[in-house]
Amino acid sequence: MSECRKLLIIGVTISIVFVVVGSVWLSLSSETLEEIARSFGASESYVWPPPVPNYEIPGLEGNVVASITVGLVSTLIILGITYFVGRSLRSQKDSLKE
Amino acid sequence: MHISDGYLDLSICAIMYGLTGIFWIFAFRKTRNILNERQVPLMATLTAMFFAAQMMNYPVIGGTTAHLLGGPILAFTLGPYLGLISMTIILLIQALLFGDGGITTFGANVWNMGAVGVFIPYIVYVLAFRTTRSRSWILFGVFLGALIGDVLAAVFAGIELGLSTLTFPYSVPIAVAAMAIHHFVMGIGEGVVTVIIVSTLWKTRPDLLGLPKVAPRWMGDWQSLLKLQEDIRNERM
Repeated sequence: MSECRKLLIIGVTISIVFVVVGSVWLSLSSETLEEIARSFGASESYVWPPPVPNYEIPGLEGNVVASITVGLVSTLIILGITYFVGRSLRSQKDSLKE
Repeated sequence: MHISDGYLDLSICAIMYGLTGIFWIFAFRKTRNILNERQVPLMATLTAMFFAAQMMNYPVIGGTTAHLLGGPILAFTLGPYLGLISMTIILLIQALLFGDGGITTFGANVWNMGAVGVFIPYIVYVLAFRTTRSRSWILFGVFLGALIGDVLAAVFAGIELGLSTLTFPYSVPIAVAAMAIHHFVMGIGEGVVTVIIVSTLWKTRPDLLGLPKVAPRWMGDWQSLLKLQEDIRNERM
């Protein structure tokens, strides 16, 4: 198995563990900054309405399976985007050499 | 530590976009020159892993929760410029898809967690290598870098909030103190996890720590740092 594929498999496996643990046991989020901002009277106002607010599909709030699915799909999206960005930067390097 | 839309004055948002923009330009320009074939999958994997890690919220003080930022590990494995690009991608997806962070505050969030949260740990890591050959002290430098990086990122967030007088009716010292105290506790957690990951990589996959680092020239020649790292590792074996 190539080094690249091995690395991706290990990374995706660890990410799946993080997503499952994060969705099932450690999902409650109460960020310090939000608490402080609220206590000081500031309130958030979305400029762009997010399609999946607070990592929960509208209508399926509190559904663990939906949260895990959202976490896994978004992790794969991030993996794909970053790989694409990395490859693009690499190809620019190659074209600069030529 | 994600600042949502509506928390910062638009003038502060514009300034933070400007400051972060300078880092983005340097990061993309420098990265093109040094990025190698092995770093692309590593970058993608680590970015996905720390996005997933940020979904795990653990309780800290005052009923609030915290999560790993991941900036220090990104800096130590990829170098600060590539680490900044990784963190930018994480924050962009979080803001666009999940409303975690904001669009107007995106520059500020990347500055806090991507520039400060990645560059500061890297600077402390390099200083540790340059000042000692003791493995324990270098790992202490890793811990200290992660801790200072987290606290300084929080301090910057406090300054941005404190300067946003239209939306935030409290002074800079109050906002900074509130943020720094809470994030000191989180920084200790980040530091401990970072030391565990770095010492594990050092023993099992030192090649991942030894990849070319995309760093500003004034931070030093990474090849001599890698040689130092290898020497220290060999002395211990």
